[in-house]
Amino acid sequence: MNLNLTTALARFLIFPGLLFAVPAAWFLLWVERKAVALMQGRIGPPFMQPFFDFVKLLGKDTPPRVGAAGMLMKLWPLIAVSAAAGAVGLLPVLPSSGGFEGDLILLLALLELPSMCIIAAGFSSRSIFGEIGSAREAVLSVAYNVVFLLAIVSIAASQHTFRLEALAQLPASPLRWLGVLAILVCLPAKLHLNPFSLPNAEQEIYSGPMTEYAGPELAMWELSHGLEWVAATGLVATLAAPHVGLVWLAVLLFLALSFAVVLLLSVVAAATARLAIDTTVRFYWQVTLIFAVLAVSSALFMRLLS
Amino acid sequence: MNILAMLWNNLRGGSRTMLFPERPKVTKGFRGLVRFDPALCTGCAICKMRCTARAIDFKSGKGTFTWSYDPGQCTFCGRCVDGCKSHALSQDAECPPVYVTIGALKTAYTVARKPAPKPASASPAVKPAPGGTA
Repeated sequence: MNLNLTTALARFLIFPGLLFAVPAAWFLLWVERKAVALMQGRIGPPFMQPFFDFVKLLGKDTPPRVGAAGMLMKLWPLIAVSAAAGAVGLLPVLPSSGGFEGDLILLLALLELPSMCIIAAGFSSRSIFGEIGSAREAVLSVAYNVVFLLAIVSIAASQHTFRLEALAQLPASPLRWLGVLAILVCLPAKLHLNPFSLPNAEQEIYSGPMTEYAGPELAMWELSHGLEWVAATGLVATLAAPHVGLVWLAVLLFLALSFAVVLLLSVVAAATARLAIDTTVRFYWQVTLIFAVLAVSSALFMRLLS
Repeated sequence: MNILAMLWNNLRGGSRTMLFPERPKVTKGFRGLVRFDPALCTGCAICKMRCTARAIDFKSGKGTFTWSYDPGQCTFCGRCVDGCKSHALSQDAECPPVYVTIGALKTAYTVARKPAPKPASASPAVKPAPGGTA
């Protein structure tokens, strides 16, 4: 089944798009905060806290922003939210839910957009903390994206398709598990979690690129961050989930796997301290590049065999 | 993998966060509210000089002086207590109480000056300032 306008809109707006993804984003944010709190011996936020935060921020004023830089500052969070929502909408949660050849590439581009918006937002805010945060985010994203993209591309290349749905339906190979592992290693950096929470290192540079943001604009950043959580954990869930025909079982499996990924990331975040930028970059370039090289070479090997 | 064991113990042991009426136990040498003993004070005002947070104020009057302390400004550094040669200052070994009105814990003492080098036969007249603990 190909993607027509109606199903595309339904996927973007209803499931797994905005209507599903926004509550899911709040839920995942809560799970992460609560899990880290419990592991640190704290009480943690109540269940509705991410939603309350969002509503509270929506009700606040933003400082007046003038000129082109001000316009851009208003624009970046909106682009980030739409990109993250689009990325969630592309995930093939339901079996035979449509899609098109090359949607994996679009998904990767959409997953990358919020990070670029964060970089741009930090620089257009002209705050010293924002600029440091943006520079860190830029360096970090160059470092982890090599691994992230190579892992995904090698999975896709070995299975001869850049279509997400086809990828999700193919039986899992050892190479795919290697790729999933490489993606998991990249997720803490993508989601700004410890030990790679450099861009928003709150004890050093306040919230980095977000320092100058307040009110509804900050609410949009929070939302886009939550949606990134859903998209990133959803991508892992899509690649790791075994293919099942039943719709409700597929949805349940997707949710359970996303939840498991969030818990895993929370444990890592709670168990580690923030690394310095040079250590982080070295880690990604040296250690995880091995993953990716392994994945690409075995992808080529599998291609030659088939 | 000690950190994972710590996380697991925290997870099992539940939260250690204390809810309001409960206060944390303090250790030996804990620096709480500063207490003032008017009977020992010589009125040298070194405590005021040493207080970088400006929580202690000292005003000289005619034959008397007024020593006042605002815990709201105090950082509990203990420098006033260390510097007090006559041991008129001490610190509570417990957490300061929770209060809701600004300045609720402010204290002020008006103390009569002791006659300078004479033998200390006359006991100093001590009276708290009017509304001193308001």
